[in-house]
Amino acid sequence: MEELKKKLKEQIIEALNLQDTKPEDIDDNAPLFGEGLGLDSIDSLELMVLLERQYGIKVEDPREGRKILQSVQSMAEFIQSKQQPA
Amino acid sequence: MKVKCYIQGMAAISPQSTFEGDIINMPLVRTESNRLACIEPDYKPYIPANSLRRMSRILKMGLTAALKCLAVSGVSTPGPIVTGTGKGSLQDTEKFIKEIEQYKETALNPTPFIQSTYNSVNGLIALQQQGTDYNNTFVHRGFSFENALIDSLMLLQEGYSHTLTGAFEEITPEHFYIKSRIGHWRADPVANIDLLNTNLPGTIAGEGSTFFVLGAKADANSIAALSACKLLYKPSAAQLTATLQELGSDADLIISGANGDSNHAHYYQLLQDVLPQPSIPFKHLSGEYDTAGAFALWLAASLLKAGSIPAELFPMVPQFPTDFKKIVIYNHFYGEQHTVMVVEKV
Repeated sequence: MEELKKKLKEQIIEALNLQDTKPEDIDDNAPLFGEGLGLDSIDSLELMVLLERQYGIKVEDPREGRKILQSVQSMAEFIQSKQQPA
Repeated sequence: MKVKCYIQGMAAISPQSTFEGDIINMPLVRTESNRLACIEPDYKPYIPANSLRRMSRILKMGLTAALKCLAVSGVSTPGPIVTGTGKGSLQDTEKFIKEIEQYKETALNPTPFIQSTYNSVNGLIALQQQGTDYNNTFVHRGFSFENALIDSLMLLQEGYSHTLTGAFEEITPEHFYIKSRIGHWRADPVANIDLLNTNLPGTIAGEGSTFFVLGAKADANSIAALSACKLLYKPSAAQLTATLQELGSDADLIISGANGDSNHAHYYQLLQDVLPQPSIPFKHLSGEYDTAGAFALWLAASLLKAGSIPAELFPMVPQFPTDFKKIVIYNHFYGEQHTVMVVEKV
């Protein structure tokens, strides 16, 4: 899980071109939108694309997306739940 | 179109050091490559960091030139925003098209798609300046900027006090390569100061972002007056001669779009025959691109403001007029779109 979160932070920084931000600057549980990283609605679409490209996960329901993209922790938990064999 | 308007402020990002300082003290940037790239300023004083991270190069250049132009003109709310661009954001367009292929039309990033639209620079200016007025981008190859100019003149005639009018263009390595395949550029590298000494097929590529605040009335801050702008599509020699005579016979100085391309040099020869007044080129400074006319207008207004011509920028010109009040700019884009502008001292 820790490894996944570290990788995810690096991918978020690269995908959103968060200049001057390092993975260690991002708190696992800090909100990604509004406060915290201060991301906006276009960033949320970029993060959806990131999930699809990097992890092969497509988020169909926007309401579900809101919960998934709350923080790095929630994103990592979602990825892990999709990667575990049923 | 013969309606007068006044340049109240201007800013240019170009392959020369045009963004800061004045033209008299501007050093000539000498280049050895056939692709001239803009000298980009520090964008941070103009664009918030959170917005900057998402913008591609031309968006940053367009928005920054527009904001600097507004700042120097003293006009905070732009009113109508009218621009011209031949290609818009090529970087975003290329990225988006490549990703369509790479990801088989799935999982496409929204940002390059949004920013690849031609009017994204206008939208960013309006968003940042809270401008909710008329907003239009003209995309007509070599007529793009001049159409924006004519639209602005009509808006000023309709009663607007000011317009923010400009042009932006970028050249990417990929687009440079595509255009090299159809002979747009010189086959061998040429130094920009030698461009006009050699009459061979092709020229050098350029890019730039130039903005003007235009006003309906002259005041103490007016830099120069634009008194005519005429567009001719593939004109005959007789049509071009008539237009140049009509607009330029009493001009003191000619700014010529000559770019050393032997395929279209006969038009500039005609210009010299019809208007034998002192003439200076500008493509060795800007390179060739769809909206290079905006750079020529910036140059004309800068020279009128300075009242003299810095010899260092034009090493190929033997002699300059000491007094000039009326400048005629003649330019054409690959022999198709021909434009004539008249700029006068206020």
